[in-house]
Amino acid sequence: MRTRMFKIFSVLLAVAMLLVLAVPVVYAQGPCQGSSSQCAVEAAKKFAGTTINYVREAGLQAQDPLTMAPIWEELTGIKVNVIELAYLDMYTKPLQDHLTGGGAYDAIDLSPMWMQDYVNAGALEPLDPYIEKYMNPADMEDFLPVYRSEGVMKINGVTYGLYDDGDVFILYYRKDLFEDETNKAEFKAKYGYELVPPETEQQMYDAAEFFTNKYAPELYGLAIQRLEGQAYSWFVGPFSGRGGQFFDENMKATINSEIGVQLLTDMVKQNKVMPPGVEKWGFMEVLSAWMDGKVAMIVTWPPIGRWSAGYGDTAKQLAWVPASKVVGKVGYMPQPGGRPTLAGGFNMCVSASSNNKEAAYLFIQWMTSPDISLQRVMLPFALRDPYRLSHFNSPLYRSAWPEAGEYLDTLKKAAMAGQYELGIPGAREYMEAIDNALTAAYAGKDPKEALDEAAAKWDAITERLGVENQKKAYEQWLQNPWNRLGPKVEIPTE
Amino acid sequence: MVATTEALTLKSETPRRKRRDLIPWMFVAPCMMVILLVTVFPTIYSLGLSLTKWEIGLQERPFIGLGNYIELFSTARFWRSLLITLLVVVVGVSIEFLLGFGLAQTLSGPMKGKRFIVAALLLPVMVMPVVVGYTWRLLWDAQYGPINQIIGWIIGQPFTYTWLAKTETALLAILVTEIWQWTPFMFLVFLSGLAVLDPEIFEAADIDGASGWTKLWYMTLPLMRPIIVVALLIRGLDALKFFDIIFTLTGGGPGNSTETLSFYIYQMGYQFFRLGYGAAASFVLLVFLAVFLTYLLKAFKAAVER
Repeated sequence: MRTRMFKIFSVLLAVAMLLVLAVPVVYAQGPCQGSSSQCAVEAAKKFAGTTINYVREAGLQAQDPLTMAPIWEELTGIKVNVIELAYLDMYTKPLQDHLTGGGAYDAIDLSPMWMQDYVNAGALEPLDPYIEKYMNPADMEDFLPVYRSEGVMKINGVTYGLYDDGDVFILYYRKDLFEDETNKAEFKAKYGYELVPPETEQQMYDAAEFFTNKYAPELYGLAIQRLEGQAYSWFVGPFSGRGGQFFDENMKATINSEIGVQLLTDMVKQNKVMPPGVEKWGFMEVLSAWMDGKVAMIVTWPPIGRWSAGYGDTAKQLAWVPASKVVGKVGYMPQPGGRPTLAGGFNMCVSASSNNKEAAYLFIQWMTSPDISLQRVMLPFALRDPYRLSHFNSPLYRSAWPEAGEYLDTLKKAAMAGQYELGIPGAREYMEAIDNALTAAYAGKDPKEALDEAAAKWDAITERLGVENQKKAYEQWLQNPWNRLGPKVEIPTE
Repeated sequence: MVATTEALTLKSETPRRKRRDLIPWMFVAPCMMVILLVTVFPTIYSLGLSLTKWEIGLQERPFIGLGNYIELFSTARFWRSLLITLLVVVVGVSIEFLLGFGLAQTLSGPMKGKRFIVAALLLPVMVMPVVVGYTWRLLWDAQYGPINQIIGWIIGQPFTYTWLAKTETALLAILVTEIWQWTPFMFLVFLSGLAVLDPEIFEAADIDGASGWTKLWYMTLPLMRPIIVVALLIRGLDALKFFDIIFTLTGGGPGNSTETLSFYIYQMGYQFFRLGYGAAASFVLLVFLAVFLTYLLKAFKAAVER
């Protein structure tokens, strides 16, 4: 009897011990209840000693992971090797690596526009199982809806990336010039309405013309990046805002519609009120002219707002940025036209060829978690822009400089009204065709002829990749309200 | 008995001879294997690739025969890129030849400070083409570029022409940049060639009262012919692959107006991942290179024989 009791007791003890041992396992594999950053750190400790290769855009973009990687290594024992690539190489190199079976990269930064091509090539690891296992579900809801939507973090309902850069175009304008009483009176006398921070493209053009006529060559009314390579980004938002459509119901390109032609004609006209040679101006030229007080308005990415306010201008990483002569004089508006371009942006993804997928995922979860990402978007030298609700509402960020609250509200407003660039297979090629049309028109080609050529290229691309395939991908892409073109974005009620 | 002995000797020597015959092959084999792996295999592989529809946006990679080649030859952008390439080869290399030869002729005799001048003239060729491209991009800048500044001084008013953003002048700017960088190469080759010509021939011509032009046309040029052909061959082959300066100066723009064949292949293959189509375009370039090389080698042979 005693023996039998002992046996039963032994079995019960063994079961109890197994249960005790299983509790942390179950806990660790269940959804994270606390901070996603802490959950990532705890789970990542088992990979101590491994090295993750992480692809980041070269230059200032890389300063953020270079700053954060030692902290991550200290916490987890995982080393992060930051591989810096030029923007367009970020599309080609990891893809080449995957296609040649390389496995050289573990975590990669990808623009939403490129996601479909990567998913088609099987180059990305689906993240949903990891998210379910390691992330606090509330932190997923903290992403601004525009950034966590289909076609951005998700392709066909599967999550392939964690969004990490709230890139959207906003208009920066010189408050001192716009509020000057003489300017206001002269403007009203000439144009018949008040000089106000522009909400429409016409208002922006009129203000630019007014300032250029009055102040050039000391100061020009407007500067917008026109250099080949990414000139298309300034076409997409206004094209959508005016009601243009990329394709008709048969997947025939409609970028050469009357709306497109009129827009391109207007863009060529804008060049006349911008500084000479603007056709070859890239990001740096626009930045330098703005910081030097040589232009009244620019339409560009969010980091310029921080730098022109002099935020963190003593950081050694910002030594190359011209000192701001416009501190305290800057106002912010969403890109005029109703649909600011959600230009670029980055997802952090895990390469399907990686040998350290889980460690790579935990690293990107840690980087994009609310507390860590807030630190990162507030790094003065970082190019990562606010993308979480908690970033926009952060009292710390809102008090970073006197106009920071206004800046954050404008970014949020612009993003929520934004228009994404086309994100279907062949997106790079489609966008390059628009880029060619724009630069050709800036060089003197008739806008209609330039856009007709671009539309013919679009049709050839569609034909080549299969009309039905492309149509399906486009319809799927249009599921996201921020992908649908039109004067207003229909935001889903949540 | 004798026959049997001979037969035995032959029998015993054959394997040894065979071994002896194999030894050179064994030494050469690793090198041959490397060559096969890095040149022949990729060439055959890419030839196969050029016959398939290999696109990043497609799940299937079907065999399409000459489909890529047919598409290539019916694409206006390809023909334009070919035309631009030929323009660079013909116009660019010709001007480099004329300038290089002229400079070499001028500096071939003894003169004060010759070493310094030659060293200074050779600097552009030592700079990486990408650096040359970015430097000239600044020089051509509309607002802050020294070229417009100097023109402005000459005409007495601000000059802000956008050289690289206008179709009419972008190619001109590229050619000027290319000629600036590679004329010194021609100069160096011709200077070396002129240095080894027998001076007695020219002294004899002087005694006979030959003019400078006569000496150049009937003596220097014929004697320099093999060197000229080699210089043209090297520069011509290089110009057919012209890429770096286009990439940095104009990115093939405005529109596609300054795209060379190499740049077009890069765009198709490495930017849009149309690997089958890109491979087909590469083979067309390879054919052009082969034809060009064959023609110039024939010319070289004829020049040497003369």
